[in-house]
Amino acid sequence: MTTSSKSALAQGTVVTGRWKGGRYMIQRLLGQGSNGVVYLVKQLDSAKLYALKMGFDTVDIQSEINVLKALQRQSHRRGNAGRDLSYLVEVDDYTLQGREIPFYVMRYVKGDPLRSFLAKRGGLWLSIAGLHLLRQLRQLHENGWVFGDLKPENVLVSPYGEVELIDYGGVSSIGRSVKQFTEWYDRGFWGAGGRTADPSYDWFSFAVVCIHLLAEEPLKRAATQLPQTRSYNDLLAIIRSEAALSPYRGWLERAVAGNFRDTAEACQLWKELVTSPLSRRRPRQKTPRWMLGAFALALTLLGCALYLTLGF
Amino acid sequence: MKQIMLITDGCSNVGESPVMAAALAKQEGIIVNVVGIIDYGTIGELGSLEISEIAKAGGGMSRLSGTQKLAQTMQMMTRKTVVQTIQHAVNKELRQILGNSSFEDLPPDQRSQVVEVMDELSETSPLEIALLIDASASMKPKLAAVEEAIRDMMLSLGARKGNSRLAVFHFPGPHSGEDAVLDLDWTTDLGTVRSIFQRISMRGATPTGPAILKVMEFFQYGTLKGHESKNWMEETGRGEGMLGDYVV
Ligand SMILES: Nc1ncnc2c1ncn2[C@@H]1O[C@H](COP(=O)(O)OP(=O)(O)OP(=O)(O)O)[C@@H](O)[C@H]1O
Ligand SMILES: [Mg+2]
Repeated sequence: MTTSSKSALAQGTVVTGRWKGGRYMIQRLLGQGSNGVVYLVKQLDSAKLYALKMGFDTVDIQSEINVLKALQRQSHRRGNAGRDLSYLVEVDDYTLQGREIPFYVMRYVKGDPLRSFLAKRGGLWLSIAGLHLLRQLRQLHENGWVFGDLKPENVLVSPYGEVELIDYGGVSSIGRSVKQFTEWYDRGFWGAGGRTADPSYDWFSFAVVCIHLLAEEPLKRAATQLPQTRSYNDLLAIIRSEAALSPYRGWLERAVAGNFRDTAEACQLWKELVTSPLSRRRPRQKTPRWMLGAFALALTLLGCALYLTLGF
Repeated sequence: MKQIMLITDGCSNVGESPVMAAALAKQEGIIVNVVGIIDYGTIGELGSLEISEIAKAGGGMSRLSGTQKLAQTMQMMTRKTVVQTIQHAVNKELRQILGNSSFEDLPPDQRSQVVEVMDELSETSPLEIALLIDASASMKPKLAAVEEAIRDMMLSLGARKGNSRLAVFHFPGPHSGEDAVLDLDWTTDLGTVRSIFQRISMRGATPTGPAILKVMEFFQYGTLKGHESKNWMEETGRGEGMLGDYVV
């Protein structure tokens, strides 16, 4: 059923659209998931680079395209409030060995998946990338959609922390059921709520993504215990005890509990958190008493030194 | 829409052929999906062959899965089956309108509209799923995982806009000739159910075929006692009570 067409097309293959005749030359494989294969392609007429996704299943890929189209219509109506207009480029079929393979062409997003971005840049950059990501989610939510399958692989990050969501296969309109999700980031998996698409579903996934990126081991332990004992209290315990998460603690607690008024508030609070110098990223440890004493002494000495230097 | 999801880890060995039973179910408008559980050793060549044969005859799909991935596998199969059932119906309609073409042959813009309708239907049509769990001895260590997967599935079903309900059976029953036991009558919420499988006494036999036939009966009459014997059961007053014992 979904086995055919899984072997990658060779570099240099020209994919010609059955209906619109667009021609795209395969440059290389970008990635492969459960819904399709994504290639980097060059549009032959313009020599521009795009990403081209070939679907395994006509209905699935078409619903994904429908979401992208709806987002585009919305952004058109609202004067570019939604997804930017150039994202979805073309929709067509490719005939390969007598079979029609549905595909769509989209903007090629340069950038690293969130995890490798942080590996390169350091964990502190989660504050920036996280803010961008929340803003993307906010746009989606305000247009009536929920992303659903939020996970690090579906977030591509530019060198300076700008974020693009890819893979709209899991997007549902608010009030519907979430149709695609990944265990660890799914609130149902943690017994923390249902699978109805609402903004808090994405907040929860976002929080688990943060935990996954900054405290992988404890998350893994909690996720692989017996399902009967797994609960969202395990997540709370991790949030409260892991030093790496301490800058985000209050925010994460609210996110897993679905405790924001809306995504605008979630953005705002995240922003305050990462821009306030006090909570500045580095895990804040309680300063030991003796150190405070030493600090006071140093200040006194500094004062004396200044006094002497300035020659009062 | 009606679906049977059979969860097993081996071959049937008694009674009617499960492939034939599945073919019958399909005739009755019930799709049969099969998950073969592969923890603790494999399901065997014969087992996997039977699984895919049952699914083919039942108009559904079959998958092999470890208990770890069970919930995910069941969710995916259910969703896909719903979409495919609707796709079949839509294609039938289209064939009437367009001659011998299916929606895959439509130009992208029209296809987009058709899929919009299909998505709407997938979300809103009523859905009834009967889970049929093989409770032969080898399945014993896997039942906890199966129960978790069932709870997870109810969570996904509960989020649908359309009415969705679920019933759970295991087979075989404690007495010979008892081909399937109802563990949980139609429900839309597992919140109050403490434990699904209570009264399982493991026996060696695996009467998959007869169990499928029983569940078909249940779809039709809402009881496992069959149409004819229903009156007798009500008279003696045991029917309700017995079922009641299995439903917590
Ligand atoms: N627009 C794009 N630009 C660059 N790379 C992309 C783009 N779209 C997808 N990719 C790459 O292709 C991979 C697979 O794409 P995508 O996630 O859309 O597939 P999928 O089949 O929906 O996967 P999943 O299993 O997550 O549902 C991505 O992880 C990413 O690396
Ligand atoms: Mg993906």
